[in-house]
Amino acid sequence: MSVTSTTASKVLDVLVRITGTDEVRRNLDLPLFDTGLLDSLGVAELIIGLSDTLGIEIAPSEVERDLWSTPRQIIAYAEERIKA
Amino acid sequence: MDGLELIERIDRWGTLAPTAIAHESDGRAITYQELKTHSDALAGCLLDELPDDRSPVMVLGHKEPELVVAYLACIKAGHPYIPLDTALPAQRLEIIRASSGARLTLSPQGVHERITLHASARPSETPHEGATQMENGSFERVAYKPEDPFYVIYTSGSTGTPKGVVISLGNLNSFLDWMLVEHPLVEQDEVFLGIVPFSFDVSIMDLYLCLYAGGTHRSLTRDEIGDPARLHRALARSGATAWISTPSFARLCLVERGFGAGTIPNLRRIVLAGEVLSHELASELLDRFPGVPLWNAYGPTEATVLSTSVQLDRELLGRYPDVPIGFPRPGGSVLVMDENGQPVAEGERGELVIVGPHVSPGYLNRPDLTSQAFFTLGNQRAYHTGDWGRALGGLLFFEGRHDDLIKLHGYRIELGDVEAHLKALPGVQDAVVLPTWRDGQPERLVAFIILSERPVRDDFQATLNLRRHLSERLPGYMLPQLYRFVDTFPLTVNGKADRKKLAEMLT
Repeated sequence: MSVTSTTASKVLDVLVRITGTDEVRRNLDLPLFDTGLLDSLGVAELIIGLSDTLGIEIAPSEVERDLWSTPRQIIAYAEERIKA
Repeated sequence: MDGLELIERIDRWGTLAPTAIAHESDGRAITYQELKTHSDALAGCLLDELPDDRSPVMVLGHKEPELVVAYLACIKAGHPYIPLDTALPAQRLEIIRASSGARLTLSPQGVHERITLHASARPSETPHEGATQMENGSFERVAYKPEDPFYVIYTSGSTGTPKGVVISLGNLNSFLDWMLVEHPLVEQDEVFLGIVPFSFDVSIMDLYLCLYAGGTHRSLTRDEIGDPARLHRALARSGATAWISTPSFARLCLVERGFGAGTIPNLRRIVLAGEVLSHELASELLDRFPGVPLWNAYGPTEATVLSTSVQLDRELLGRYPDVPIGFPRPGGSVLVMDENGQPVAEGERGELVIVGPHVSPGYLNRPDLTSQAFFTLGNQRAYHTGDWGRALGGLLFFEGRHDDLIKLHGYRIELGDVEAHLKALPGVQDAVVLPTWRDGQPERLVAFIILSERPVRDDFQATLNLRRHLSERLPGYMLPQLYRFVDTFPLTVNGKADRKKLAEMLT
């Protein structure tokens, strides 16, 4: 995966805004929950942010936290959704 | 409700509806019969273990059925309980243990039928474990008087030491009497969602109203709430008839577009409390749950969960720019006072002062803090909330705080509490903690830090270190999310850190 892809960079922009750190760009395997960068309300905000930015509807009921725990996983989810 | 009618009623469901589920969480449940038998047995053990002195007992866990057993057992044995959540780090628990004088901590050990006692005869001793036989149910319940303490809930204190709000049996009965009139319940046919942890007093409302009516308390765990897919599965399966939560939690659920009356078809009431409710969220809830009564309520822990409430509809929402927090509860009053303790004119802004039978006797073992915040007005107990507000036609409106206490997602946080703990960390020279705001509500905490030695390149690593160390002292909801490292703070004319200027750095 290249972070130069448009989707990836949009996802990372949203993540930087919500977590308040650029580290999410530097380390795509950063564990977002374990580091305290994301919590339940942060995930909700991320879902809204990604839905708006990418123009796709993401239902929280489809979001398994274990599959959304690093920037790389979230980018993969978004790219998959956009392809579909 | 007189005397121990609450406990008697809960016990009676053990005979009338022995197999009905009283409490359920994370796939584990306890019936009313088990609740009665186990709490009687544990109370018997507590009577052996502790003198009859109304000293508090800590109960530590996260939503497990054993916690409810322990709460009832404590009361039956004549001891108020201190509900503590496992989100609290060990150091904070130790501060609470030492300052409360609790000689015993009860905590579930994962096995449904047993509760393990972590007992220490004297505070200086290391707690030891000893399993208890739950079958041994013979004991005589201790007589409780209205002025006896029922529970003690710890909240954030401005100097870094949490303070314990004592709520008496009389306070609690007064609260429940009001609630049972405002929210008529269908006996043996209610399911209350347990959303907030038991350490947060909004849970007093859902737990005891539910048990009073012989309903099922379905408690959601932190892991369920933190995992969107699991949360929505749990909500859809809940069969809930009562929803009592913070606005933040409701907002979190509404992100799911299909979420509404169709998801929770049996819902009979929604009560929001614990933080400011926005117009937008109130309207959205009215849209998504047509026909379900929606209530907004307000109250500090010091006045037994809630002091004001109002049922919302579109007409009421349309009449005011802000969502009202409600009318004072029957039997109590909320005065709007100026700094000299005189009532202000209708519509003027002042401090909200709560008066009535639901006002706490004070803070546990803290006569100094108690006398600062509590007083007697006429022959009634009164409490200075420190909240600004105004009254219009009997309806009250909340207008913020006049100190550094904030409500973040329903949790009460003294900014000074977080700062004191940050400053105590190695390498931290000074710290200021501020909330960021969105739509007039605090959104997250930002810590401005002066380190003795600032890392040359890696601020993020420094952030992680601070966060890790701070999490050993404070619960997760009190941890700042953002950390900004600075070399100096801008100063006010008095030489104090200029919080306004720091806040401007965030915009």
